[in-house]
Amino acid sequence: MVEKIRDLYLFSKASKKQWMAFLEEQGVVDFDQAEVQPIDQTLGLYDEQDQLVGTGSIAGQVIKYIAVSHAGEEHPGSRFNQIVSALESDLAEKGCFHLFVFTKATYQEAFEHIGFRTLAKTAVGLILEKGTPNIEQYRASLPKKPVDAGQTAAIVMNANPFTKGHRYLIEQAAQENDWVMVFVVNQDVSLFKTTERMAMVQKGSEDIANVVVANGGDYMVSYLLFPAYFIDDRDQAIRFQTALDAELFKQQIAEPLGLSARYIGTEPTSHTTALYNQQLKKILPPQVAVKEVPRLSQDGQAISARTVRQALKDQQLSSLADLLPETTLDFIKTNQEAIMERIAKGQQIHGN
Amino acid sequence: MEIKQTALAGTLESSDIQIMLSQGEKGIHFDLTSDVKKQFGEDIMATIQSVLQAYDIENVLVKVVDKGALTPVIKARAIAVAQRALDLKDEPNWEVL
Amino acid sequence: MAADERLRRTMMFVPGNNPGLIKDAGIFGVDSIMFDLEDAVNMNEKDAARYLVYEALQTFDYGDAELVVRINGLDTPFYENDIKAMVKAGIDVIRLPKTESADMIHELENLVEAAEKEFGREVGSTHLMAAIESAMGVVNAYQIASASKRMIGIALSAEDYTTDMKTHRYPDGQELLYARNVILHAARAAKIAAFDTVFTNLDDEEGFIRETKLIHQLGFDGKSIINPRQVAPVNRVFAPSRKEIQNAQNVMAAIEEAKQKGSGVIAMNGQMVDRPVVMRAERVMKLAKANNLIDAEGNDIEE
Repeated sequence: MVEKIRDLYLFSKASKKQWMAFLEEQGVVDFDQAEVQPIDQTLGLYDEQDQLVGTGSIAGQVIKYIAVSHAGEEHPGSRFNQIVSALESDLAEKGCFHLFVFTKATYQEAFEHIGFRTLAKTAVGLILEKGTPNIEQYRASLPKKPVDAGQTAAIVMNANPFTKGHRYLIEQAAQENDWVMVFVVNQDVSLFKTTERMAMVQKGSEDIANVVVANGGDYMVSYLLFPAYFIDDRDQAIRFQTALDAELFKQQIAEPLGLSARYIGTEPTSHTTALYNQQLKKILPPQVAVKEVPRLSQDGQAISARTVRQALKDQQLSSLADLLPETTLDFIKTNQEAIMERIAKGQQIHGN
Repeated sequence: MEIKQTALAGTLESSDIQIMLSQGEKGIHFDLTSDVKKQFGEDIMATIQSVLQAYDIENVLVKVVDKGALTPVIKARAIAVAQRALDLKDEPNWEVL
Repeated sequence: MAADERLRRTMMFVPGNNPGLIKDAGIFGVDSIMFDLEDAVNMNEKDAARYLVYEALQTFDYGDAELVVRINGLDTPFYENDIKAMVKAGIDVIRLPKTESADMIHELENLVEAAEKEFGREVGSTHLMAAIESAMGVVNAYQIASASKRMIGIALSAEDYTTDMKTHRYPDGQELLYARNVILHAARAAKIAAFDTVFTNLDDEEGFIRETKLIHQLGFDGKSIINPRQVAPVNRVFAPSRKEIQNAQNVMAAIEEAKQKGSGVIAMNGQMVDRPVVMRAERVMKLAKANNLIDAEGNDIEE
């Protein structure tokens, strides 16, 4: 009659094996390190015979790997609700009242039934959120578009760090539009911290009057962080992640805020980013135009933040002057010690 | 009175109700999800509202997911979430019970 | 405690933070309902469970069942608020877990009395019972059982007890034999009820019945249960035999006759009927009624 929730410790090999076997029975087969490693907490639901009949995990504020067996379930949905509820309570205890879930379309109703709201949806899957601060509160916190602004544009950047390339993209958008909103990715997983990236973008664009800089909040994540463990094909997973990001931007940001275009840089090297750009071009128009601006080059080489990070790692500081605006150079000089220390401590310079 | 922190109480299990209080604009604002919203939505909100009033909570956003809770359950969860939002989890207000 | 002869065959554990189970707890015909604020409730939900049980006690109809709350132990930060809330709610019995000494009962009694005064409850109206869960508790069982006139029973809680004894539970129950006997003697000497521990494997009905027969044979008042499915088997084990019922009916008839004759001496078959015999007969009649073997007037119900 009473099924009990218990912590399931994935660092215990035996527990993890049992957990994986259970998920596999429920059709979840992707246990890629990138999906499993970020998990903070996993709960198991056990029936009266102490059999695992459900599980769910939390990574940051994202619910992952949720699955239940329906054999012997008291009423349909009760196990699912019990697990989500327990995850929410545990998060609340830690002071987090806002969570997301990425899931298959078949679970949309189950989540909406317990207070989740769909933010964006593709044929493969969807993203929902619950709690506070939610998307409406986020939008309300953003700078308001001037009433007389006609053509407006958005740019999303990580700016890790802010380069001449980023500056060039902003300049292009600022010339062609009345108003430009630059969103800086909020996730604090890069070499340069979010506050530093925000400051660099702000400083590096403050001389352009029609540009505002805003934190991307929880809604302009690096799409690579979107969970896709419920999709077994890796390439299809990337396509899903990027499409969902594009839908989310279109439905929840660009359209409600009245932003008419999104500016992106061409992507000469990264297969994944190229794929992302493709998805943006497919999904945003006609409501939101996509303007692809050729990347600014230096000596025939497209300027990229990654090159800058590599140079920092190699201590080739002299080469940075060609790649970075004065404002970023100043920042790096002032904070050189702290940045070098982060690299020495093993902060990844790859990724975004 | 304003709440001190966002708080959650109750569960999504059958016969229960999950209530979240967060900082709100002027007044008590409800966002209610329930299978029986049409028949009992008003009653559910009135029960919660009376508990909030007993705690002098005036400006708050109340997010509710009801799973068929009866009035005493709604009242108990509302008391729990109010105490938590006022950072009085371990100091029950015996007057309100 | 004056021997109160209410039936206590089944005491059902109900998790204190589960509205679905709490609202339905009255429909299974259990003799006692024990709302659990202790082990069944997560640390973070102790406050919420306390309010839930409180509101349930104000509202839901639990019929004739005796209402018990297992509070959190006195070494926890929840102990005092649990006592206050439950006294204010007018609970019949507060059950103290992990009881090891009479002093623990005295401390509980003082707090209960203070709460009764604070909330305008009649002083003495809240009864107490103790769960014995350790070797120390078993050794001090009689002191605990007789520590207060509020005490109505003591219970063996075997999970913690067997851990303390460096063993675990076995199907034949040999490991509990001493504790069961000590607790039973303590209860009988103090003239309060003795409750046996839970049987957790719901799939092993045969084992459950075997254990229930054993504790019935020893003399326990009843068994702690974790599921409504366990009510009927316990009641069947505790049902009096036809012969016991007939004998009790005869005793009752003899009492009635003595009353009508205005005689102070009750006699049956030329023997004097003394107080233990009367009490036993009354108990059998009560059990027979509870099992629907006789009607309210004490007459047989045809099967």
